[in-house]
Amino acid sequence: MSDASAPLLAARALTLRAGARTLVESLTQVFTAGEIWCVAGANGAGKTTLIGALAGLRESAAGHVEVEGVALGEWPPVRLAQRRALMPQDQRDAFSASVLDTVLLNRYPHLSGWGWEGDTDRAAAHAALAALGLEALAARDVLSLSGGERQRVALAAALCQGAPLLLLDEPLAHLDLHHQIACLEALSRWVRSEARAILFSCHDLNLARRFSTHALLLDGHGGFHAGPVREVLTPERASAAFGHSLVLIREGAHEALVPALASSASTSHLPGSNGAR
Amino acid sequence: MRSVSRDEPHAAPSLRALPRRSMSARRASLIWAALALAALVVFAASLASGSVSVTLAQVLSALSPWQGAHGAPDMATEIVSTLRLPRALAGFACGALLALGGALLQVLLRNPLAEPYVLGVSGGAAAFALVAMIAGVAWWGVQASACAGAFVSILLVLGLARRELWRGEPQDSSPRLLLTGAVTAAGWGALITLLLTLAPDTRLRGMVFWLTGDLNGAGMPWPALVALAVVLAGVVPAAPMLNVLLRGDAAAQALGVPVLRLRVGIYLAASIAAAAAVTTGGTIGFVGLVVPHMLRLAFGNDQRMLVPAAALAGGVAVMGADLVARTVAAPAQLPVGVVTALAGVPVFLWMLLARRTR
Repeated sequence: MSDASAPLLAARALTLRAGARTLVESLTQVFTAGEIWCVAGANGAGKTTLIGALAGLRESAAGHVEVEGVALGEWPPVRLAQRRALMPQDQRDAFSASVLDTVLLNRYPHLSGWGWEGDTDRAAAHAALAALGLEALAARDVLSLSGGERQRVALAAALCQGAPLLLLDEPLAHLDLHHQIACLEALSRWVRSEARAILFSCHDLNLARRFSTHALLLDGHGGFHAGPVREVLTPERASAAFGHSLVLIREGAHEALVPALASSASTSHLPGSNGAR
Repeated sequence: MRSVSRDEPHAAPSLRALPRRSMSARRASLIWAALALAALVVFAASLASGSVSVTLAQVLSALSPWQGAHGAPDMATEIVSTLRLPRALAGFACGALLALGGALLQVLLRNPLAEPYVLGVSGGAAAFALVAMIAGVAWWGVQASACAGAFVSILLVLGLARRELWRGEPQDSSPRLLLTGAVTAAGWGALITLLLTLAPDTRLRGMVFWLTGDLNGAGMPWPALVALAVVLAGVVPAAPMLNVLLRGDAAAQALGVPVLRLRVGIYLAASIAAAAAVTTGGTIGFVGLVVPHMLRLAFGNDQRMLVPAAALAGGVAVMGADLVARTVAAPAQLPVGVVTALAGVPVFLWMLLARRTR
């Protein structure tokens, strides 16, 4: 039913509201294969709402979302789940289950007959665990995992779903720095290996600048900037979105956005700074 | 009354079960076959034993459809076919419905301590049944009244907590569907105490038996068996979806599960199961809580295995408990709910406490 040449995901004049507040006003944007999008913005700016709307879990106030050229409402739910995976924020488990079984649950859209997993499903689960270096945890009880481990298991589950479009809500929360980098590297490899795309929300602007190709910066009042990551996550725009002055510092090939010192109105004297891009 | 307004669980303690291997269709079939065999054994024992002993050959002749062909049936045949057979079938159906209802509500509420009575179904049934008993109507009137009470309670909770049922339990804040059910159950509990206080002494004994769960008056196993067949037919095909629902509503919906329809379906299936069980056997406690947990500890929490297994194991548990209830102090007969509670409390405490040290 879907058009192979259509972008994996597209927002068409999408408007999102929370109560009386407008979070996103008329967003029109295509997200195509090979792109990694970071959704950034202050707390409450609407990152989770946007990801939920793009996944089809919540209604938009206006406009619509298309996956592979077909409006979300026209997809049969199971077929849609074969094409886009969502990792919601902060999942909790109430019952014991092994990590492998938990990851296998995301094969639900691929089950047929009486709903038992086959060898393909098991292979996909093992591959997803391997991609994130979690094979050693396969037999562990999900209730015994730490917050960071649980987060990586949830990410493996999303990968295991085998959809070319991944929507991840805060996939890096609770992770140590080296796990954040390892996850982002795994996701970069995953996007490059086939016609795939990722959209994830993230609080670390520097990791976003380094690993994503594009960014969508929400100001929380309906406004947004969308485009290549280095044109969007600039000190000026990020400062405006987060309500705190940020400067960009460079050290060789490395760059970082850091909060400006309260005392320094001018940033030109900071070593290696290039605040006024 | 213990069986109607128990302390309701809000925080889920860790009941850990972790089998080494993932569930597969083959393993699940083996588990079901073993439980079905156990059911057959207990069924045969229920027919053969009691105050009058009956041989296996007489049991078989009583079950044979041609028994009426050669002359008048003997007394053993009569006892088996009119007393023990309906009672064993009613016990199996009640236990299966209760364990099924418990397993379903544990998924719906994402709470390991939920059980079939947690949303007040048994309280409504009990209050209505007691009113019928005080009025002195026949046994079928009591059963009809209990059934009506169960559905009044179902509709009451459904009406009060419909938003929570639609949206799902919030993961962090107070579980409102659970609390609505618990408070409704407490209200029924107060009403039941009032009815017991006002009841004439001559009727009190029957009322207490009913409240504890008693299969003595269960002359009609067929409504419960039909309810069991209907609930199983509705729930077994949905079992893969139940697995996904345990991951949370957002995750389940993103995987293509129709969460809203599924939640309402589970609620109705669990309610019908509890209503049919309560109507047939009174409030038989602990089966709905303990049986699904025993199966989880032994075989894991895969709902595709657990849903049919809970029905079989619950049936075995109540049929077996009733066998004990009518033989251990023969010729006196205990209410079956006493046996399930006496066995259920230590088993549940053992599961709760012993597993934590692992």
